[in-house]
Amino acid sequence: MSSHREAPEISKDPVADSTDLYAFVSPDKPGMVTIIANYIPLQGAAGGPNFYEFGDDVIYDIKIDTFGNSKWDINYQFRFSTELGNPETFLYNTGPITSLTSPNWNRRQVYSVTRIDGAGEHVLGKNLACPPCNIGPLSTPSYATKLAAPAVHTLGDGSKVFAGQRAEGFYVDLGSIFDLGNLRPFQNLNVFGKAEGLSAAAGVNATKLLNVHSIAIQVPIGRVTRKGRPIIGVWTTASRQRVRILDPEAGKVITSGPFEQVSRLGNPLVNEVVIAMGDKDKWNSQRPHNDSQFTHYFAHPELAALLPVLYPGVFPNLAALVASKKPRVDLEAVLLTGVPSGIIPGFSTFTGTVQADLLRLNTSIPPSHSPNVLGVLGGDLAGFPNGRRVFDDVVSVELRAVAGATYPLIDPTFTPDAAAGELTDGLTPASLGMPFLDHFPYLGVPFDGYDDPAS
Amino acid sequence: MPELDPGTPRPSRRTMLKGAAGVGAAGLAASALASVALPAAASIKSPVRTTRGPAGEGAGDQAIVVHVRDAASGEIDVFRGTTQIRMHDRDLAARLVRASR
Repeated sequence: MSSHREAPEISKDPVADSTDLYAFVSPDKPGMVTIIANYIPLQGAAGGPNFYEFGDDVIYDIKIDTFGNSKWDINYQFRFSTELGNPETFLYNTGPITSLTSPNWNRRQVYSVTRIDGAGEHVLGKNLACPPCNIGPLSTPSYATKLAAPAVHTLGDGSKVFAGQRAEGFYVDLGSIFDLGNLRPFQNLNVFGKAEGLSAAAGVNATKLLNVHSIAIQVPIGRVTRKGRPIIGVWTTASRQRVRILDPEAGKVITSGPFEQVSRLGNPLVNEVVIAMGDKDKWNSQRPHNDSQFTHYFAHPELAALLPVLYPGVFPNLAALVASKKPRVDLEAVLLTGVPSGIIPGFSTFTGTVQADLLRLNTSIPPSHSPNVLGVLGGDLAGFPNGRRVFDDVVSVELRAVAGATYPLIDPTFTPDAAAGELTDGLTPASLGMPFLDHFPYLGVPFDGYDDPAS
Repeated sequence: MPELDPGTPRPSRRTMLKGAAGVGAAGLAASALASVALPAAASIKSPVRTTRGPAGEGAGDQAIVVHVRDAASGEIDVFRGTTQIRMHDRDLAARLVRASR
């Protein structure tokens, strides 16, 4: 998926597993940037009695490069703490949770937000309440208004913050993609699908009815940009202490040592489908400004070579490009340095020559009044890869880019295959089954465990 | 504070775990080593202190954890709170290895 369970090690540590990162100029508040970092993938809504929560032993960071050197100079750091009201019951709640202070809510989390920048560390908020997970209509009535909305906090610097469960916003037909790249709308052309006599079909969203945990912050643009430099690079990391010991005599887990990065995420799908299995864990441990060690994966992506094999005769121009062994400078630009000005009229996300997987956002481009889920590829300069909005169809965008749709940006003589402009897994935001919000924190109300699944 | 240049890339979690398993040495909580006396300060060579994370936060349990990285060279990491100290002491490493058997 975007970055859900994308590497062997982190797939065993969901609490620290970053799944999606979004950064966009807020459509309802165009003077504010919203950044959302999602963690804890694939949450079944009924997953009790120990419902999902952030790790008290994990440091969650949202890092921002405003200089263009691919190192962070602003970091919003989140630390969580779990509070247990009554250890004598197995229940998450002993009655309806009607407010964030309800005595019926037995296990809750609070958190602190610290901004670290050139002037030092600034605690912007502490003991901020997370909402409960959405249990069901009896346990968490009026969830959106009584529990989620009050969990949006305003910080001392005017920023807004939210941390807690939301509906998954990333849509993808995992079942088809990992079944030998058999994109359902094109499975009649897939070498294996064709052999089975399959017909083209609509996509099936694998993340439907699932939730995720979001850390969302909305900040005035001026707080995260430097004068004259409207383009920022954003990424999220999760870190754990180097040592963890199970102490059965003390009945607790001992952690010790410096915090070590175990997960990171900038652009969607990079570690998922660009980085090879043998380097995925290393990728998660590295800092973005060291990403030149991975350039070969972007220059010669495995997926670009696979598409002509999986879809014989459909991608002849891509096959020729792959055979030429020319580096995919287009992908390197989009994902590792940003797109320089002068290539797409009125558009740039270029942050400098240091290759780094950052989600780059040009904050000088206003939100679109008629957004296109294909973002820049669909002519909407306010969308991915200019940052990423919650509804952007990053699967289709990256499939098309890898298939050659963006190669003419650096070689106008190249003609992409017709299929490159059509590739999709057949999904839209409607496939999620839960609408996005038109305001912070934008991701939809989490599915509740009583109704989802309902049968 | 803004990010400092970390120098060379650090090992992945998996590499670290493999390394811990592969040296044939012991990673031991200090509480299990009560009978092993710490060496005099003079015998600690090239201590290197690394700290990441916010000061005073996340220290959690203040247990001291000792990891003998390489018994032959006496390379030992000592973890406490959010700090890690690298020391070199062949004698201590050898005694820790003996104590772990």
